Amino acid sequence: MLYRRRKLDLPHGKVQTPVLFPVRNIGKRSSDNTPAYVGTIPDFSTAMINARSIRNREPMWNRLTNGVTLREEMDVPEDTIVFADSGGFDFTAEEIDTTPAETLDTQAQLGADIYGTVDVPLSRENRAAENQRRIDQSVEYALEASDRHTGDALLFASVHGYDPETIRNSIQHLEKNGDFDGYALGSMVPIRTDYKKVTKLVLSARQATDKHLHVYGLGGIVYQPLLLYLGVDSFDSSAFIRSAGNRNYLIPGFGGEPLRNIESLDRLPCPCPVCGQRELDEIREDRTALTKHNLWALAIELRRFRYVVEAGRDVEEYLDLRFQGNEVTRRAYETAKQQVRRLT
Amino acid sequence: MSNAFTISDEQQDYSQYDLNANPFPYSPVPNENPEIYCGQQHVSDKISSTVSSMLATGKSKHLVVTGKYGNGKSHTLKYTRSLLRDREDVVVGYVAQPGDGFLDIYHEFVYDLGFNRIQELAYEYLASVTRDVTDTNPMGAESMESLIDEGDVLLSDIVPEAIRRLSDVTKFADFARAIVHMVYEDTNLYAWQWLTAEGIRYEQRKEMEIHSALDDDTMGVRAFTAFKNMLLDLGYTGVFVFVDEFESIARLTPKNEQATLNSIRHLMDQNSSGLCILFGCAPEVWQDVMSEYHAFSERIGQEVSLRPLTSEHLYELVENYLDKERPSTVESRIRPFTEESLDLILQRSQGNVRQVLALCSRILDDAANENRQEITVDFVEEAI
Ligand SMILES: [Zn+2]
Repeated sequence: MLYRRRKLDLPHGKVQTPVLFPVRNIGKRSSDNTPAYVGTIPDFSTAMINARSIRNREPMWNRLTNGVTLREEMDVPEDTIVFADSGGFDFTAEEIDTTPAETLDTQAQLGADIYGTVDVPLSRENRAAENQRRIDQSVEYALEASDRHTGDALLFASVHGYDPETIRNSIQHLEKNGDFDGYALGSMVPIRTDYKKVTKLVLSARQATDKHLHVYGLGGIVYQPLLLYLGVDSFDSSAFIRSAGNRNYLIPGFGGEPLRNIESLDRLPCPCPVCGQRELDEIREDRTALTKHNLWALAIELRRFRYVVEAGRDVEEYLDLRFQGNEVTRRAYETAKQQVRRLT
Repeated sequence: MSNAFTISDEQQDYSQYDLNANPFPYSPVPNENPEIYCGQQHVSDKISSTVSSMLATGKSKHLVVTGKYGNGKSHTLKYTRSLLRDREDVVVGYVAQPGDGFLDIYHEFVYDLGFNRIQELAYEYLASVTRDVTDTNPMGAESMESLIDEGDVLLSDIVPEAIRRLSDVTKFADFARAIVHMVYEDTNLYAWQWLTAEGIRYEQRKEMEIHSALDDDTMGVRAFTAFKNMLLDLGYTGVFVFVDEFESIARLTPKNEQATLNSIRHLMDQNSSGLCILFGCAPEVWQDVMSEYHAFSERIGQEVSLRPLTSEHLYELVENYLDKERPSTVESRIRPFTEESLDLILQRSQGNVRQVLALCSRILDDAANENRQEITVDFVEEAI
């Protein structure tokens, strides 16, 4: 097993890894906004924000440059740990409208604890040559950010690639030519249904560096245990928001279940502060409650994994059970197991 | 209690013959890497001049070695191959027999080079591009691989350029992509299967952005030519192809036989430099090819025939073998054989080199077992 526990010492406090950074959609349409969870879910004193979209929202950006702190704007405690990615995922369809220097500026202005470097994500539909160009560009941006970066915040280089060599090669190249506190693997979302491929790519990144490894966008209920098993130190997710939008109820071990499939039931099986006290019909109507529960589900998933490890139980046995329900993820886990065993 | 078998790991003792071991091959199958050439001077002269001319001028040249079964065609080709394989400026492939057509010849050729060698060539190509577009200076496959592993060069930097150039050099973009995919662990098996013309599924091709299937003789000729052009671009002098048992094309239908010969002719026409094909063929089949397919035989033009072994050849051959295991020179060069006993062996094996060698091996063992000082005609008579 590659699972590992570390401690990150950051400007706004310490954080135990592995950890999830729930996505905070501030600066986006209000309907997508994340309900307050800091303080209600003790595990998550963390947040992932999109530097670019905050900067592009003029009223908010004006407040932030005139004395209001990001954490005030988010209505969270000042010791909240913030990971600001560059917002690269928005560039897929558009031209890049920022530079490494500008992004670093924004990240510093926001008082983020972790900076992700500007990147140009890949798509499986792209021609190979186009993806190669993007990989090259992201590496260049990362190195430029490394040259310019000062201060206490951690700098994570964003890394892309759809084959193990490219990922290893990029990380080695960045390690040699830059100064990074960790690496963040991107472009996994478009290929997330290809579990086998994602597993391979994550492992190749894990093998290439002992530094902190973040995986962008795959912190959902199914991927979380898989990433923990593969030794990933952090991940982020907006799945709890998106699922709630689709009235999808997340529950560890089962994945998501559309609530409309459950016609009459008084109480849901989860004992979290949302479900524990309320009846199903109440939650069905309350999207914010559903979002909060979904985030609790992610927290429970993480707690369970940690518990299994601390109790000295066999993690692989736990995961065998955990993944047995779904043929696709079971096979992905079996592949991961074989690969991990070869490495350990 | 009786010992029906005496099994021992002790070496047979050949010291009474001033030999360290039995030097003759046990099996009548030609050795993969023969050390001794038991051919004939006029044949080795002809091969030498063909090969040397290609090496010296870079111009393609081909040769047919004819000889009856057992006269040493395979041995001749394999011996020549073993000499050439040591050279760093050529690539050598051996095709045991032509199969059902040119695609099979191509397949066997690539297969004989092997996955590792093709992968090495892919790295060599990346190295040549890397030398041009970066400040690093990888001199071969190994140093290229380590530059990639260490992150000294960025794959995404050199791969697009490598594909562009190789497509230019080979006029075959799919081939260029397949070669470059040999360095990626996710796709190198598919790339290899495509390059060997084994055929891969459409999705696997799509993943490498390879549009064509390498599945007929025309594509085989194209891929082979691309391969050779890549080698010339890498600075190699040329490619040697040894096609053994060429006579087996006679069992193809006339249409397929013609198609095979046509493809080989196209290959020769498209490769006026850097290619040398040596065929091993039974004389009667070669006669037919010569008379029926002028266009093909004209391209080869050169033929040399192995003759059945003569006594003089045999004495010399046996001496060469014995010398391999002789600690010092002795007065009787063919001892413990006598000229008479060798003549009998030759007569019994009808001049077939393989049989002669196998017989020599067995008889020498028998003689050592029985502590015979000399291998006489009588002893051979008994042993055969
Ligand atoms: Zn709940």
